[in-house]
Amino acid sequence: MRFTTLDRLKAWLDRLAQEVDLVAPCDVDGHVLYRPVSSSEEVLLDYERPELPAKDYLFPATEVLLRIEQRGKDVALEEVLPDRRQVLFGIRPCDAHGLAAIDALFLHQAPPDRYYQHHRERTTLVGMACIRMWEGCFCTSMGGGPTDATYLDVLIRPGPEGFFLQPVTPRGVAVLEGLEVTEPKGEPLPVEEYNPPVPVTPTAKWRAMFEGNIWMRHGERCLSCRICTYVCPTCRCFDVADRVVDIRSGVTRIERIRAWDACTSPNYRRVAGGHNPRPTNWERLRNRFLCKFCYYPEDFGPLGCVGCGRCIVSCPVDIDITEVMRDVAQK
Amino acid sequence: MSVRRAIIHQLREEARRLLSERRVDCIIGYETGPRGRVRPAFLYEPAEADRLVWGPECVHNLTTYLHNKKKPRKRGEEPPRIGIVVKPCDSRTLNVLFAERQIERGRVYVIGIACEGVMGRDGQPAAKCRRCTDRVPLVYDLLLGEPPAVEPAPDDWSDLERVAAMAPAERLTFWLREFDRCIRCYACRQVCPGCYCPTCAFERDDGLWVDMGIEIPQKFVFHLGRAFHLAGRCVECDECERVCPMGLPLSLLNRCLVREIEALYGHRAGRAEALTPLLFELGPEGSPI
Ligand code: SF4
Ligand code: SF4
Ligand code: SF4
Repeated sequence: MRFTTLDRLKAWLDRLAQEVDLVAPCDVDGHVLYRPVSSSEEVLLDYERPELPAKDYLFPATEVLLRIEQRGKDVALEEVLPDRRQVLFGIRPCDAHGLAAIDALFLHQAPPDRYYQHHRERTTLVGMACIRMWEGCFCTSMGGGPTDATYLDVLIRPGPEGFFLQPVTPRGVAVLEGLEVTEPKGEPLPVEEYNPPVPVTPTAKWRAMFEGNIWMRHGERCLSCRICTYVCPTCRCFDVADRVVDIRSGVTRIERIRAWDACTSPNYRRVAGGHNPRPTNWERLRNRFLCKFCYYPEDFGPLGCVGCGRCIVSCPVDIDITEVMRDVAQK
Repeated sequence: MSVRRAIIHQLREEARRLLSERRVDCIIGYETGPRGRVRPAFLYEPAEADRLVWGPECVHNLTTYLHNKKKPRKRGEEPPRIGIVVKPCDSRTLNVLFAERQIERGRVYVIGIACEGVMGRDGQPAAKCRRCTDRVPLVYDLLLGEPPAVEPAPDDWSDLERVAAMAPAERLTFWLREFDRCIRCYACRQVCPGCYCPTCAFERDDGLWVDMGIEIPQKFVFHLGRAFHLAGRCVECDECERVCPMGLPLSLLNRCLVREIEALYGHRAGRAEALTPLLFELGPEGSPI
């Protein structure tokens, strides 16, 4: 395996920060989050699972799709597509696995989502293996793992005296070109701790369980916030709206934006006239779970959960996807 | 038997009795989940009573769930009668909700617990407990536990000092940095027992005052607007701050207004069954209100 030292890795990151949009895990007021960086000094190299997934950089929380300028009867449209190369450094294997799940809908269904496709093409995924499974993680039950390189362009594994580099795709080979390698020292750190496995139940059984009191039992305490969907690396619902930016001397400037949406939120399913087919918190939560384990895999292939555990640790009322999975398996 | 064990025992007995005598249709209390975390629990059958727990992890203000219980379960029925476990701080919310005609007093059976304080995420006494002067609920039908012998520490507002010490420009920078981290998940609003409008003025889907973007201007308007809408109504249970996944110090905003309103009107939300004076009272000629 190729190997490099801390100093060389940092020099490479500093150079990348000049050439591309570099995003990496940072300490933001005590929270580990992926953020754009301009120097290796800002980059964390020993960190837990970041609190938010990396999807924001391929499917931004708010994205301007079009700029619209209206002068009288003339309307001009301009599509907004960033074109700089982007490197996501230090993402976790589950982040990349989550993107693969999103790809199934946004890339592999026709027509592809132009904006997502564009971000995907400009982006290289450089992952950092986890040295243990963190609180709530169950990736090994979902077809991933703390050292899984499958969905990355490069996997880096920390060692006692440096970093082991494992290019996975041609794009990964290319991004490593500027990184000086040396004689390997030691071995990659082994995974210290594995969490217990969680049973995954076939989609048909989830479908058959649509009725039944399990959903109210798990969902009655749900706050109908958006935390679990926003922290999830596979949730990809969005809404589109136009907003007026300004009106000046006969010119109206409008932006068409899309922003993340969440099926757990009360208004998500409300239709014209005010009817809401999912009026209660537990019906909305049922949709979230059935989407992940039944609808999404049946319609698009992959499961809608990669076992990153983020929704478990961040839910303020202890709604725990693994508890639901165990319950469904036992029924 | 320790005080806590005695309370849990009484709580379960009482819940069993209320449910089997059909005095209430549902009990909202606390239980421990499989990960060992304490969480809100909804009980419908007497046999479920043994799920109930009580202890310093019972930080949640359960009164927020009463809003989900305002409608009958079936058309034509009465709305359900609810038994609810409250701490002294939570009981102040009940006063606000009764005054605002959200919940009928007769529909709730209030199981108040004399409280020795609960813990924050860090395992330390929660901020709201460090300034609590009550220790016994202000509203209850049944009181469990003995008023603990904790000397009440008067509220010295020391939590507000760090923002008060900032120059206005510095304060703006401070808040913009906090709002930048916010992901507009609305957990703070959803958990708040005072945030029950069917359509929030800052709801993104309606876009009346703020658009859908998850960006600083929308978050800025949402947080300041929410704080104003809670002025004289916020009971300082700090639930918004507890649930925030991004650690925003939201209670600073609310508590600034709590202090102002107490100074202007002598009103502290939930101390009595009273509406916020902010919308309804004018001061004498020449007074700032
Ligand atoms: S499951 Fe938890 S995080 Fe998700 S909407 Fe409900 S309360 Fe919010
Ligand atoms: S559902 Fe929860 S555990 Fe599964 S990928 Fe999403 S956030 Fe992670
Ligand atoms: S809970 Fe926190 S992150 Fe969510 S909207 Fe409120 S302040 Fe923002």
